[in-house]
Amino acid sequence: MENALNKQAVSDDLMILNMGPQHPSTHGVIRFVITGDGEVMQRAVPHVGYLHRGIEKLAEGLPYPSFVPFTDRVDYLAAMFANHGYAMAVERLLGIEVPRRAEYLRVIVSELNRIASHLIGVGAMAMDIGAFTPFLHGIREREKLNDIIEELCGARLTYNYIRVGGVSFDFPQGLDAKIRAFLDTFEPLMEEFDRLITVNEILVKRCANVAVIDAETAKSYGLVGPNLRGSGVDWDLRRDLPYSAYPDFEFNVCLGRGFRGTLGDAYDRFIVRVQEMQESVKIIRQALDGLPEGEIKGKLPRKLKPAKGEAYGAVESARGELGYHVISDGTDKPYRVKIRAGSFNATSIVEHASRGLMIADLVVLIASLDVIAPEIDR
Amino acid sequence: MGDFFEYLKSQWSFAQEHPALAFFLLVVGYGIVMIGFFSAFAGPVTWVERRVAGRMQCRIGPNRVGPHGFLQWLADGLKNFLKEDLIPNAADKILFRIAVYPVFAGVFLTFVVLPLGPWIVGADLSVGVVYLLAVTALVVTGIIMSGWASNSKWSLLGGIRSAAQMVSYEVAAGMALLTAIIPAGSLSFQDIIEHQGGWPWQWLVVYSPATFLAFFVYFTASLAEGNRTPFDLPEAESELVAGYNTEYSGMRFLFFAFAEWANLYVIGAVITAVFLGGWRIPGVDIATQTNNIWLQFAGAAIFLTKASVLVFVTIWLRWTLPRLRVDQLMLMCWKYFVPFGIGLVVLSLFWQVLAAAVPTWVTSAISVLLTLAGAALVAGMFWRAWYNIRAGKDAPVYTWLI
Amino acid sequence: MGSVSTYFENVKNAAVTIFEGMAVTLSWMFRRPITIQYPDRTPEPVKDTLPDRFRGILEVHIPACTACSACARACPIDVILVETQKHPSGKGRLLMRFDIDISKCMYCGLCTEACPTGCLRHTPVFEATGRDIHNLVVHFVDGPVVPYKHKKGRPVPASPPPGDIVQALLKPWDAEYVAWSPGEFVERDAGGGDGEKGAASPGKVEGGATGSGSG
Repeated sequence: MENALNKQAVSDDLMILNMGPQHPSTHGVIRFVITGDGEVMQRAVPHVGYLHRGIEKLAEGLPYPSFVPFTDRVDYLAAMFANHGYAMAVERLLGIEVPRRAEYLRVIVSELNRIASHLIGVGAMAMDIGAFTPFLHGIREREKLNDIIEELCGARLTYNYIRVGGVSFDFPQGLDAKIRAFLDTFEPLMEEFDRLITVNEILVKRCANVAVIDAETAKSYGLVGPNLRGSGVDWDLRRDLPYSAYPDFEFNVCLGRGFRGTLGDAYDRFIVRVQEMQESVKIIRQALDGLPEGEIKGKLPRKLKPAKGEAYGAVESARGELGYHVISDGTDKPYRVKIRAGSFNATSIVEHASRGLMIADLVVLIASLDVIAPEIDR
Repeated sequence: MGDFFEYLKSQWSFAQEHPALAFFLLVVGYGIVMIGFFSAFAGPVTWVERRVAGRMQCRIGPNRVGPHGFLQWLADGLKNFLKEDLIPNAADKILFRIAVYPVFAGVFLTFVVLPLGPWIVGADLSVGVVYLLAVTALVVTGIIMSGWASNSKWSLLGGIRSAAQMVSYEVAAGMALLTAIIPAGSLSFQDIIEHQGGWPWQWLVVYSPATFLAFFVYFTASLAEGNRTPFDLPEAESELVAGYNTEYSGMRFLFFAFAEWANLYVIGAVITAVFLGGWRIPGVDIATQTNNIWLQFAGAAIFLTKASVLVFVTIWLRWTLPRLRVDQLMLMCWKYFVPFGIGLVVLSLFWQVLAAAVPTWVTSAISVLLTLAGAALVAGMFWRAWYNIRAGKDAPVYTWLI
Repeated sequence: MGSVSTYFENVKNAAVTIFEGMAVTLSWMFRRPITIQYPDRTPEPVKDTLPDRFRGILEVHIPACTACSACARACPIDVILVETQKHPSGKGRLLMRFDIDISKCMYCGLCTEACPTGCLRHTPVFEATGRDIHNLVVHFVDGPVVPYKHKKGRPVPASPPPGDIVQALLKPWDAEYVAWSPGEFVERDAGGGDGEKGAASPGKVEGGATGSGSG
């Protein structure tokens, strides 16, 4: 591949530019080989694998519950979802019923985590476009979320909170009020964030009509989550393949509508994330109001030894469908765990979507897809 | 400078006996004082920028070195002096080494014509504005040189961006300056300042709607010339790593940074001189200010205050706005600023004819109205800021140095 | 016509939104920054502000340890090393070694959940560093100890406040690495070898011997 590119470059007088693996806006260690004529790119080919840790292989050597902390490392910005997907797959394999309270707690922490992840997503996008301040305003709010989650489970990033069969801790005293207080201040600060950056004409001009991914392309590349919904495809696992306690809640699925340009451009993906945060606030409020009493962990055998078979558990993560396919061979260790993560597909569309963009637009494209390197490589 | 030398001759017998030597000494002395002065200006501005950026981002900023971190700029400078001056193996070594000098010279040569008082000026050139536009164009040669000589694609892209941007925005900046020069009737900075008064409604910025708009056009265009956000494409961190100075380190990098900070002052000073009344003290006429050395220094203080406020605004803009794309930058220049500038020049010419035809109170009233509009803009900004504080359920804090 | 209105619309939008954005950043010039000036300028030490469930460096309260190795089995990355041996008298076992490699630990908390007596726990201590990474292996036992045996109705030995044990065992950051070797087994009964053992090794946990005596 690379040799072919080189040959082409020599004959066409094109420039080959290596963006990454160490570059400020590749969001982790990803490399993009850009073939271009000065600022205008012909295409950018993503090269992944710099952060490959063999997490899927590690699962094969570990008992079922011991793999949960590793899932934190699949997506460290939204580790709750990674925990949740694996726990769901194993629960389906074992046929365990999860208590209602645990399901509600899972929803609350997941949505808190979605806000935290989207704050980084939109903030980093603003930063890649050149505005540093919105990023830190996003981080500021995320810090408060981290404090809340830390109080709940003791860790700020790698939670290991959602376990097979339930969750590891119940709400400590006073956390309910703290979450409500946070949501009350978060909403006006989100409006302020919108005034600061979301409506900013320079950002709109940088994102609108840039890197348009139409619905068909998005589907055929297997995009998921906000990237798919940004292209106008109405698909949300929380509503369409209901899991956990999501059927109990009222919320909207935010779709791109070509807010300031074409449907499926970078600005649509940006706006979808901003709106999803507001929906998450709604869900958390409902879940806190309707939090049932009861156990937080289901009845589990002392040693998890599922029967031969396989199960798939998928959650709507901040980066879209995050699924675990777990195959059991009847022992206490999985035979195979396959992780299906949204970022991998999102990266694969870069080559298609980057044709004819400028280098500055490639940065916008990558940021608008909100890819995270560990989820690509695993 | 010439007037001051005449004054000196009358006071100092050495100057009468050896006028050439005395004049030479005076010029060299002034040069040294000025470079020292503006170095001492550019350094603390880095500290101010970092503190302001910190507060705007809900952080604190550097506050450990010296009182409230004030000596941070010295520490950083010293660190850069001690660092190894790396030159990439594949770089064009001669060009790489000399690229910093045009950048440095381009910024510092502007201090020749930027006045701080009736006498405190390097040389009151009759073509001061043209000279200024000419020497700032030197900066672009340095940046292209560094971009090319680094032999890095990122640097090259940065250099090319910079060239396109500076050359284009020079046109818009020239147009905007011309709009203000037409009523003043001179290209000399001292003449332009003397044409204005000390009070805000006597400044050129509110002389006519044309100059009022030209103020904003020139401010934006000079941001683009100075590579400041939203026009910092040559060193766009998220795209080009660090643009034209990617490969530089140590001393040479410091010189680039230093020129950039000094350029901040140049932006502020030119606008102060041309649009905001320069060194004029409100209610003091030129003759009084010229004859009293203390009033001259007071005028310099006023000049520096106005320039510092503008420097703060550039910093503030930098930490608020995203960056434009390179084609949008060009589009903005050629589709918005240049036609706008030409329109303003024409409007300004018409205004000259019109102002001569109507009674003076009409033009004065328009000046006062424009002053009120400017004041309303500032007041509106503070009101919105206040609204944001209230909406965020926050109590205002008035301590600046936390 | 549309393009002309778009033209001026663009100018207006840019002016208004930039004004609004600047108002937001200006407002933060008048608001309190959220920075915590760790480590030296915090109103109270950061360690004291952490929530109870904070998962910091692990510590073991040896007097309550049954040497069951459940923690070592639960650990997904083999951070914990528990070695036991037959008691010289032939009855029961001896806890020879209890090491936790905090340079490797990923603070998942699985071991603490597996611990039957709660002697293994996370602490609010999070500051550990060293020139030599081997210094980050904390040895909680410096000589063979008789493990605790739980008896119904008898409370588990009370432990000092979380963090004290491991804080005392952490070496200074610039300490030289000295290979660890297990001490000699001393038969201890209540009060017996307590004093001299404690005096011999200052890093040793006080009460270790009393614990083994009671168990």
